[in-house]
Amino acid sequence: MRRPLIYLGVPVLVAVVLLLTGGVLGGHSRPAAAPVAAPTDRLADSIARAQDRLRTLPKDWRTWAALASAYVEEARVTANPTYYQKAQGAAQQSLTLHPDGNVDALVALGALANARHDFAGARDQARAALAVDGYSADAYGVLADAQTQLGDSAAATDAVQRMLDLRPGLAAYARASYDLELHGRTDDATALMRRALDAATDPHDIAFCRNQLGELAWQRGDVAGARREYTAGLAADATSVALRRGLAQVDAADGHLDAALAGYADVTGRAPTPGYLIEYADLLRLVGRPADAMTQLSLADAAVQLFTANGGVDGLATASLDLATGRAADAVTAARAEWARRQHVDVTDTLAWALHAAGKDAEALGYARRVAGTGARNASYAYHLGAIEAALGQRDAARADLTRALTTNPYFSPLEAPVARQLLTKVGS
Amino acid sequence: MKFSSTSSRARRGLAVLATATVLGGVVYGLGPAAANASSHREAPLVAADPAIDNTDLYAFVSPDRPDYVTFIANWQPFEEPNGGPNFYPFATDAAYNIYVDNDGDGKPDATFRYTFQTIDKRGNDTFLYNKGPVNSIDDPNLLVRQTYTLESSFNGQPFKTRIKDAPVAPSRVGPASMPDYGKLRDQASITLPGGWKSYAGQADDPFFLDLRVFDLLYGGNLSEVGQDTLAGYNVNTIALQVPFKDVALKGDAKRNPNIGIWTTTDRGRVRMSGQPDASDNARRDRVQVSRLGNPLVNEVVVPAGLKDAFNSLSPDKDAGIPAVVQRVTDPEVPRLIESIYKVPAPAAPRNDLVEIFLTGITTKAGGPIKADLNSQLNNADVDASKFRPSEMLRLNLSVPVSKNPNRLGLLAGDQQGFPNGRRLTDDVVDIELQALEGAALTGKLVDALAAGDKVDANDNAFSDKFPYIALPNTAAVNAKAGKTGAAPAPAPSTTPAAFSNKDSTASTVGYISAGVGAAVVVMLGTAFLFVWWRRRTMVPADDTLPL
Repeated sequence: MRRPLIYLGVPVLVAVVLLLTGGVLGGHSRPAAAPVAAPTDRLADSIARAQDRLRTLPKDWRTWAALASAYVEEARVTANPTYYQKAQGAAQQSLTLHPDGNVDALVALGALANARHDFAGARDQARAALAVDGYSADAYGVLADAQTQLGDSAAATDAVQRMLDLRPGLAAYARASYDLELHGRTDDATALMRRALDAATDPHDIAFCRNQLGELAWQRGDVAGARREYTAGLAADATSVALRRGLAQVDAADGHLDAALAGYADVTGRAPTPGYLIEYADLLRLVGRPADAMTQLSLADAAVQLFTANGGVDGLATASLDLATGRAADAVTAARAEWARRQHVDVTDTLAWALHAAGKDAEALGYARRVAGTGARNASYAYHLGAIEAALGQRDAARADLTRALTTNPYFSPLEAPVARQLLTKVGS
Repeated sequence: MKFSSTSSRARRGLAVLATATVLGGVVYGLGPAAANASSHREAPLVAADPAIDNTDLYAFVSPDRPDYVTFIANWQPFEEPNGGPNFYPFATDAAYNIYVDNDGDGKPDATFRYTFQTIDKRGNDTFLYNKGPVNSIDDPNLLVRQTYTLESSFNGQPFKTRIKDAPVAPSRVGPASMPDYGKLRDQASITLPGGWKSYAGQADDPFFLDLRVFDLLYGGNLSEVGQDTLAGYNVNTIALQVPFKDVALKGDAKRNPNIGIWTTTDRGRVRMSGQPDASDNARRDRVQVSRLGNPLVNEVVVPAGLKDAFNSLSPDKDAGIPAVVQRVTDPEVPRLIESIYKVPAPAAPRNDLVEIFLTGITTKAGGPIKADLNSQLNNADVDASKFRPSEMLRLNLSVPVSKNPNRLGLLAGDQQGFPNGRRLTDDVVDIELQALEGAALTGKLVDALAAGDKVDANDNAFSDKFPYIALPNTAAVNAKAGKTGAAPAPAPSTTPAAFSNKDSTASTVGYISAGVGAAVVVMLGTAFLFVWWRRRTMVPADDTLPL
């Protein structure tokens, strides 16, 4: 349901104002500028060139579409959602100028729909593009992203393979790597990202590869390896929010809590997404600052409501926030609704965890087992399954899954990992 | 406008939202774009991948070595020579291939495969290319260097390594860093057993044109041409010189002088299943990601919806795609020209264009051009039953080197020039523009196109010895004040051969009449607009946009 933000109420406005004043966000210390000129930012250059060109040749529909795609990329690398509307406008302009068979514009609109979490819409755009050009690797990329998020694992893998068959390279390797990761093939996923990194020359692309490699190292509990990747990535692109967040995560795991808090303050200042804000709140609770944690959760609430009020649907963020604020029943409602739309493993896991929080462990178990059935090697998923089994009195299964969680990544969450250890002791005795 | 990345931007964006909120719900209708969703994994879609982008192919009989053919293939356009940390390696996960088909079946009879390795000694301390002057190809001050392996395969035999660890000439990052680049070029120009010569490294982009002629397609005009749009930019070049006998059918270039050439870039295939397909042979285990033969091909021969398909096809498949053939026989560009300049488009089907792009100029394929110039069908030992029309650059090795090459090539009666192979000095765009002027079918010039793109020669002089291409530029293109365009043209001929009194010279393969030259010209002219548009500018989210 769309409704004007004005009706959202005073608490949200307060939160927004807090977000604006920056007072609660802490210092936004930025990495020191490199001593020499950084390599060219090809993405920014391509946007500037396209804009210049369109000023003199406003009927150039191909450049409009290229500009739209570049804006979607810019939104990704800067975590700045205002580029989405620019992308929308540019793609629509391209379609208006050239309505028939405009693969470039359809691909741009599909990528945009994915970025906005309209995964079904993205899938349809990708199919429309492929109907015109069945050899478009970019269209298969959009389709792969959409099917992955919708939870159609087989269709996603098929789209990734087609992309690989048409145009192997960073974009295809990245999607293949994630697909392998979701199937628990972490080593293969890592090998492919290494290959992508070897081929990458653009600083943003290098940053992306390093972030994925850091994430993969993190997932197997290799904190030092993850730190190496994040640090190397930030050397290529000091502005990357994702890498900064990764570094904050390993700082927390290494017990450098001040550094971790400063990192999250920087990250959430630049990209106030619900996910980052909730992680920041977790960390603040860990260090005994519950009031500050609540502030971050208020900001997360504001961010979710802003997104929802403007027509977006993100039940995963809503459910995660409900869980973080102890509203288990609301979390179940949100997670159920999201799961009806898409069955990505993250959604399934969140639904299981929400049901557990609401005391519905019998139902939760089915979803948590479904998560385990994907083969994904993720400590958090294993912990959730183990905790649900423990609540149901299935001690052997709980012991196995909690052990699996803690051997996969003993640092998986600053709040939940200690709980997992306690629980393991309890079921192990 | 370029947006700088600052930590305050997100807050500023929200400030706007908050203000709007306070002002009464103006936020409504902004769409979900106005706020971030929770993050999900997002990967680059249009990743910068210029290193595998074919731009141009040249093939010509070597002026200083008349029994040797030279292939020059370029990748990665628009390399800005502004030094510092920007340098332009060849991709190490790709293979760069030059193919020769001497029997016309659309399949390679000779394959030259270049693969590259990077030696990176920067460590974590710097991302600079060099830490001091680079005075030799193996100077330790050069922190990032590349080497290459050249392998070759003939007639389907296994690949043999011709050289390993050959040096790549570095990106030229300025006179202070590389005071004598000519020396580096010389050290990277190597001679191999069998008389082969090979070079891989940076060069001035030898192609010269004003890309703005292509703006016609989007409502622009020709009033602003005359600037070599590629002046000052560099490319990555692979140059290879081999004796005729290594590429001619049966090793006999006298009986079989005609060859077809194309280049590709490919990468290894990746399978999600992790299981190699047992039916796959080595060739199918590679994925072709880019292809280039004729400079005029991409939008002329290939329909928009098939451009990705075309880049993935091998030439022997071309004729099996009806849409490709139809595009050639009924091209779009002449209609566009008609709408703008009121020059009637020649009537379809354009079987003349089929000859240019798909068969070579020959009387043996049923085409309308009454001449035999450069089709493999004219090789004495060819098996005509295996001939497949296919898109490639065709060269007759027996046409002697012109003493005074004419930039307008075949159309000015210089049979050594494009579309008989392609020399560095051939003015391909003006050949096509002249074709429109020449309008042999109408006898009427198109005034607006009379001067072509007004760029008649490259900005930098070519060399008279291998690898012939000019040294890389060192001045930043975008810092140049008042770019003034090209050097003076070498005796430009503005009159198509069809309207001149000059006779074409006889060649060993037959007499090409002036009329044929003009016919060729018209065919090409129909095609001129799209070519580099696609190659040079249509790579999205990349700095190859022309402005």
